[in-house]
Amino acid sequence: MSRIRPDYEMTKWRRFQRFVNGEELPEDERKRQEFLHAAREKSARREEEQAAFFLRQKEERASFRKYWKEQERRELERALKERENWADTKGVKLFRRFYHAVSIIICISVIAVLLAVVAELPAFGSGGTPANGNEVAERYIVKGQEETGAVNIVTGMILDYRAFDTLGESHVLFIAACTVLILLRIDHGADGRPTQAKLEAEEDDRQFEPKNDRILQKTAFFLVPCIIIFGIYVILNGHISPGGGFSGGAIIGAGLILHLNAFGFRKTERFFTYRVFQTVTLCSLLFYSAAKCYSFYCGANHLESGIPLGTPGSILSSGLILPLNICVGCVVACTMYTFYAIFRKGGI
Amino acid sequence: MEWLRFITGGACILFGLAVACISVIGNFKFKYVLNRMHAAAMNDTLGILFVLLGLIVINGWNFTSLKLFIIICFFWMASPVTAHLVARLEVVTDRERVEKECEVAEDVRL
Repeated sequence: MSRIRPDYEMTKWRRFQRFVNGEELPEDERKRQEFLHAAREKSARREEEQAAFFLRQKEERASFRKYWKEQERRELERALKERENWADTKGVKLFRRFYHAVSIIICISVIAVLLAVVAELPAFGSGGTPANGNEVAERYIVKGQEETGAVNIVTGMILDYRAFDTLGESHVLFIAACTVLILLRIDHGADGRPTQAKLEAEEDDRQFEPKNDRILQKTAFFLVPCIIIFGIYVILNGHISPGGGFSGGAIIGAGLILHLNAFGFRKTERFFTYRVFQTVTLCSLLFYSAAKCYSFYCGANHLESGIPLGTPGSILSSGLILPLNICVGCVVACTMYTFYAIFRKGGI
Repeated sequence: MEWLRFITGGACILFGLAVACISVIGNFKFKYVLNRMHAAAMNDTLGILFVLLGLIVINGWNFTSLKLFIIICFFWMASPVTAHLVARLEVVTDRERVEKECEVAEDVRL
C-alpha cells in the first residue's frame, strides 16, 4: 500500500475531490497551516531523533572499539611484562625444579661412583695394588720407616721426603695471617690512644658475644685443658699415629678460641698477645727453615746428617720430624687464633 | 656370647641411626630456630650416644672403647652448651618472635 502524505487531507487535489463530492471544506487556511507545521515538526523531530540515535550508536561503537583497543593494549603490556619478569617469576620456579632434579642426580651419581670405587678397591694387604708398581710409592713404603724413623709413613713423607713442600705451606699460613692483619686490623691512633673505629669495634664485640655466661665458663673450664692436651698429644704423636702438626695445631687453636669465647679478651690476653703471636710464629718458621736447610745440604742419601733417628715407635725418634711437627703445630694454632680474634674485634 | 654382643650392638647402632634420621627430617621440616635447634641437638646427644654405645659393645673393653666413651662425654658436654648459646643469642637478637612462641625470663642478656 502506498504511503499517504501526512497532509493528504489538505492537498489541492483532495480539496478538489471533496469539493466535487460535495463534502464540506476545511474551515480555513490557518488550520491547514497549523496542521502542516505540526506534521513538519513531527517529521523533523523524528529525523533529529534518528540522527541522534545514529550518532549515539556511532559513539557507542567508537567507545567500544576504544575499550577493546585499551584491553588489547593492556593484554599486550601484561604479556610483555611477564616476558620481562620471566626470570623472576616463572624462571625461578623452573630453575628451582631444575636445581632440585640436578642436585638429586648429582648426589646419586656421586654416591654410585664412590660405592663402585669402594667395590673395586683391592683387598686390604693384597699384593696386586696399583701402588706397588710405582717405584716412588714403593720406596716410601719399603724404606720409609728405615730412612725417616717415622712409623706413620704419611708424616715421614710430608716432613722428611717432601719437607720443602710443608715449609711452603707453613709460610702460606703465615702470609695469610699477615694479609688478614693488614686488611682488618684496627690500630691505635698516632698518639697511642684508641681511635673511634677501635672503640666502635670493641663496643660491637661487647654487644653480641657471650659475656660472663656461667654455663659456658664452667664447661670451658673442663674442656679447654682437655682440648689443648689432646692437640699436644696429636702433635707429639704425629710420627707414630695418624695426626701431625696441622691437625694438632688446629685442635689447639680451637681450644684457644673456646677459651676466648668463654672468658673474654682480658683473660686470654694474659698469655696470648700480639707479641706472643709474633715471637712464636717467627721462631717456629725460622727454626723450620734452618733445620731444613741443614738437612737439605747434609741429609742426602749418602751423607751423615748427625741427627739420630732413634728407634721407630718411641716419642723421641725419627730425627727432625718431631721438632718440625711442633713448629708447624705452633704456626697453625697461632694463625687460627689470630684469624678469629681479628675477625671478631680487629686486633689480638 | 659373640652373637649376643653383635645383636645388642647392632640394635644400638640402628636405634642411633633412626634418631639421626628423625633429627635430620625435623631439621628440614621445622621453620623456627628453636625448634630446629632442638631437632639438631637430638642428633648430637642421643643419636651419637647410641651409635657409639653400639660400637663400644661390639668392640669390647679396650683402649679404643675408652676413646669412644671420651668422645661421648665430650659431645654430651659440648653440644648442650652450644645449643644454649645459640638459643641465648636468638632471644637477645629477636626477642619479639621468641615471646610469641614461648615464655621468656625478664633478665636474659648477653
